[in-house]
Amino acid sequence: MILTRGIWVRLVALVLFTALAQVTFFSKIELFGSSPDGAVLVVAAVGLLGGSVAGAVCGFSIGLLVDCLLMQTLGAFAAALMAAGYLAGRYRESVGRPKRRVVPLLGGGLTLFAAFAFAAIQIGTGIDADVSTLVVRDALVKTLLGAALAFPVFWLVRLVLRPALIEDAPSGRRPTAPRPLEQRG
Amino acid sequence: MYRKQVRRRRAVLVLLVVASLALLSLYFREGSGGPLHTLQRGVAAVLGPFEEGADRALKPARDFVNWFDETFEARGENERLSEELAETRDELAQAQTTLQQGDELGRLNELTGGGIVPAGTEPVTARVVGRSPSVWYSTVTIDKGTSAGVRVDDAVVAADGLAGRVTATTRGTAQVTLITDPNSSVTGRVQPSGATGVVEPTVGDPEDLLLNFVATNEDIADGEMVVTAGFAGGDLDSVFPPGIPIGEVTDASLEEQQAYQRIHLRAFANLRDMEFVRVLAGSGGGEGGDG
Repeated sequence: MILTRGIWVRLVALVLFTALAQVTFFSKIELFGSSPDGAVLVVAAVGLLGGSVAGAVCGFSIGLLVDCLLMQTLGAFAAALMAAGYLAGRYRESVGRPKRRVVPLLGGGLTLFAAFAFAAIQIGTGIDADVSTLVVRDALVKTLLGAALAFPVFWLVRLVLRPALIEDAPSGRRPTAPRPLEQRG
Repeated sequence: MYRKQVRRRRAVLVLLVVASLALLSLYFREGSGGPLHTLQRGVAAVLGPFEEGADRALKPARDFVNWFDETFEARGENERLSEELAETRDELAQAQTTLQQGDELGRLNELTGGGIVPAGTEPVTARVVGRSPSVWYSTVTIDKGTSAGVRVDDAVVAADGLAGRVTATTRGTAQVTLITDPNSSVTGRVQPSGATGVVEPTVGDPEDLLLNFVATNEDIADGEMVVTAGFAGGDLDSVFPPGIPIGEVTDASLEEQQAYQRIHLRAFANLRDMEFVRVLAGSGGGEGGDG
């Protein structure tokens, strides 16, 4: 990813918009008894397009803003999203740009990972909770919704960050060398 | 060159992990007036207007998506019936509370305005503008804060019953911790028997509440209503006024060799879908936490 001043502005706007959309839109819509986790999908898209550092930093920032907006435990959502962004970036760096059919699988998988990471942090920080069927069902429905929404979100994020992207072929037709994160003033 | 990039990548990752752990650790250690809480309230206060704007701007899109879900579940009819039931339930709760507490309290209620709104409180209607994205937190953000008279510990009611209490405030927003949050507990009274207990959530299942510490000799049946008890005891006053409907008993089966009964409830308030709430400003007697 080529980072210019314009791209920084776009990234900051993306982070702000995603945090606000997560709190005021995604969390407030209900589909099949659960709400889609849009923030995870945006973070995954940034990781898949820009690498592990971009994914982790973007995830941490969005998560921290959501924690602030909801006045909940500072750092919990940030850590979960950071981990999801880092994993997405590592996929990009080790396998390459994902094929179209892989994007929904990655979206769903990272949504499930983020849900369980968040649950683990909650339990680790002292919430005395049973893993009830509702929690598991919520995570599974979120995963399915994440898989369904992954491609449109990936496409939108790609549209926003297009000037910064180093285009390459989808995975399977390219070498497995890690993608460099170039920086230009 | 490649090694340098790997080192930098690892350094950034380590930095973020350390930052996350430090935030989590410090956040739990400090009090609600600590620097992280203050910073959090400051960020929330700055972004509050944007949050409210985004909430209004995205409402049509949200309604559009929810319309599919609601159509799918045929909830339109259900909502209308729920509203009618809620009105009837409020009237019933108030009548039963008045009967039980006797003429003296009835006259006192009449003197102070009656109903669930205690004297000295000002009902403030607020819109729910933010919601926690997971089932682990049961908090919502509302668009009224200290500038509207909302204070920490004020009781919050939804259209169908008790929703929770205010736990943090900024000038223009407030955080409401719902009765389904793991940190929540409310003293409740079963109507009409008068048995009391503590209403706590079944963590991870916001559709189920537990009424704990009910004496085993109390005879409680499924379908009975639980309202706030509103105990008053010097420094230990309940933050919730008495008579606010909480939920109905769904499972009152008595297990053997239990010192107390544990009764399952279903909350009346639809805490996942509520759009508006009413804060009983002044009911909690807490301090404002303006950031």
